[in-house]
Amino acid sequence: MTAPPLTPAPGGEPQATAAIAHPQGNTTAVVGTPPDPMQSLAPAPRPARAPRRRTVPGRIRTQAAVCLFAVAVMFGGTFWAIGNVRDGLSVIGEDAGPQVVATADMYFALSDMDAQVANVLLIGRETGLGTGKDKAVQRYEQRRAEVGKALLLASDLAMGDPTEKRTVEALLNGFGRYQQLAERAMLLNQQAAHPAGPPPAQVISVYREATDLMRLDLLPKAYNLTLESGTIVRQTYEEEYLAINIGRIVVGVVGLGTLAALVVIQVFLARRFRRVTNPALLVATVTVGVLTVAAVLLLGNGAEGLRKAKEEGFNSVLAMSRARAIGNTMHGDQSRYLLDPERADTYEQVYLDNSQKVLFTPGGSLDKYYVGVDKVVAAYPGSIGFLGFHGDEAGSVMNRPDEKAALVRVLKGYQRFQQADRQMRLLANAQKGAEAIGERMGDLSRGFQAYDNALVDLIKLHGGTFDEEIKKGDASLGGWDWLLPGAALAAAVLILLGVRPRLSEYR
Amino acid sequence: MRVRHAVIAAALVLGVSGCGLAGAQTSTIVGKETMIVGVKIDQPGLGALKKGRNEGFDVDVAAYLARKLGAKNVVYKETKSAEREEMLRQGKIDFIVASYSITAERKVKVDFAGPYYVAHQDTLVRASDTGIDDVRDLAGKKLCQVTGSNSWRRVKEERKVNVSLVEMPSYRECTAKLADGSVDAVSTDDLILAGLAGETGTSSVRFVNAPFTDERYGVGLKKGDVAACEAINRAISEMYLDGTAKELLGKWFGRTGLKLTVTVPQFEGC
Repeated sequence: MTAPPLTPAPGGEPQATAAIAHPQGNTTAVVGTPPDPMQSLAPAPRPARAPRRRTVPGRIRTQAAVCLFAVAVMFGGTFWAIGNVRDGLSVIGEDAGPQVVATADMYFALSDMDAQVANVLLIGRETGLGTGKDKAVQRYEQRRAEVGKALLLASDLAMGDPTEKRTVEALLNGFGRYQQLAERAMLLNQQAAHPAGPPPAQVISVYREATDLMRLDLLPKAYNLTLESGTIVRQTYEEEYLAINIGRIVVGVVGLGTLAALVVIQVFLARRFRRVTNPALLVATVTVGVLTVAAVLLLGNGAEGLRKAKEEGFNSVLAMSRARAIGNTMHGDQSRYLLDPERADTYEQVYLDNSQKVLFTPGGSLDKYYVGVDKVVAAYPGSIGFLGFHGDEAGSVMNRPDEKAALVRVLKGYQRFQQADRQMRLLANAQKGAEAIGERMGDLSRGFQAYDNALVDLIKLHGGTFDEEIKKGDASLGGWDWLLPGAALAAAVLILLGVRPRLSEYR
Repeated sequence: MRVRHAVIAAALVLGVSGCGLAGAQTSTIVGKETMIVGVKIDQPGLGALKKGRNEGFDVDVAAYLARKLGAKNVVYKETKSAEREEMLRQGKIDFIVASYSITAERKVKVDFAGPYYVAHQDTLVRASDTGIDDVRDLAGKKLCQVTGSNSWRRVKEERKVNVSLVEMPSYRECTAKLADGSVDAVSTDDLILAGLAGETGTSSVRFVNAPFTDERYGVGLKKGDVAACEAINRAISEMYLDGTAKELLGKWFGRTGLKLTVTVPQFEGC
């Protein structure tokens, strides 16, 4: 069957069908040609090889070769598809996924540094406020160390990408400048030894420089780095997901083709040699069948695991980490609002804008916003009347009771946080500066902490889903390192063993 | 024949289920040779039509972004505020750069890359009016109210500043009327004011430089084109890193005395 006009397709199906269907008039002349020497002689450039092909051992050899070739393609296809699952798991699970968490933590630490500086300046020489000035200084230093570590990690991870690398470099430079400004502001503040409330103008002007650098330059860059890691995860996911599904189809089709080739050779042998079964070939057929089913199932599970890790784990971790980052700057804006009366309007507006990113409900002013938040939080989970990060999250956890319950706690926490914010602003507007600062350092601070903790719990739930799926994916691939080559090799050996005794009858 | 049928049937089953999964990717504008960009034609400094040519900060940004996305030609098309979402949805334009603020409501209908700049509501007054340092100093002054615009509310209703409103049909008119004293202040997006001030002459007016809102100018995209959104964000990062943004801001608004931010804004996310 190897004469030029009959060159079989690599899959080995054409001659397989031809052999079974013969003699049949409706098969095409080229594919289904019966072994008629006259027909193939006409265009054949190498007629000398034609007779060999038609001998029984020649046909057995050809069919066995087709089977072996099919097994090899099957092995290659499965190997490639499993490689895609592995790559997807490794990029999402080990590189970009953790980078998202690392850069989100960096944003959080940066933003908290600036908030702590504002607190230190606001508290002044007072001692009885909240957790106190020393604690704020301590936290500033702790965050500073965290940022330093995160920046080192980020610069490591950004190696391959020039834009990212320059962004990290700019962040490193800016971070150095920020520390100088912030520490100078705190030193001047120390020297001024003012009572709680806005510090002297000189301190404010240095702090303004610092906070502008932080909010307009450093924080956006850190945030964009997180988004960039999210982009890498999404692109990898889509590429690998598509490749795995293509691989699944290829493995399924090639597996069925291999089975068909094995059936053909067995039918041929059974007819020629009057033996009903060939045990070796039968076992080879079963092996290929089991391998095909197992590989298709494995790839299906691999694709689904990757999807779950990305859609139910990663997406929410990313979104909620961003919400947490923005929440922290909002808390800082509350201190800045009290700290710098001249800019109070700006900080209040920024606070409202950020609030609406976290949980959107229509209303152009804070007064209307507070009312809106009370209303939509009370209506959840009966109805989702809000947009923004928490709105998206509400949409995606609709069928997940654990996450839904955690989101309810987040929303309640957010509502109390906004209520305390309202209280603080009411006091500030009533010229009760000291009480407003007391509220900021007391109730409001505790409210924020509770909200933030609830958010962290929710992120942990999604992170758990993510880790679990990645781990499950890794574990399911474990045995395939030896199972796949072992099974392919066994099938090949069995095919050879199956045809050998028949061929030896012709020696 | 039976075997072949079985193979074909199996391939179809696998293929169909595979396609359903693989079809998640939507088409993207990345790599299009000619890009059609929605811009404004009546906002000096941002998007204006002068002698048949589109010009302004938005127009220059659009050209930069289109080039980074791989386009060889850029066609500008006017997009009125009311039809932006629909034009994107129908694919009549590929993306929008037209002082288009990102809001939660709009995000339901379109996707936003960027922001490529965060404008702020600020106030323009006569250069000779030195007593105004902050929006609260506008108490008792005549503030321009443009028909259909909400900017005045942020002063009178949200900040509760006691201004008297003078209604005008456009911000261009408002800015022009500063000189003769029929209005004392115009308050809206700083880039829009800067563009208008550039037209009427920058020496007679000044910015209060007391911004009180964030207007995040985004690049509007058809809903679902995440690949373009990500590519544009990357291009915006590069635009700021390579100095183009600083140069373009200086070119269009540098003479107006407005405080410009020349570092990359915090993106909205795709």
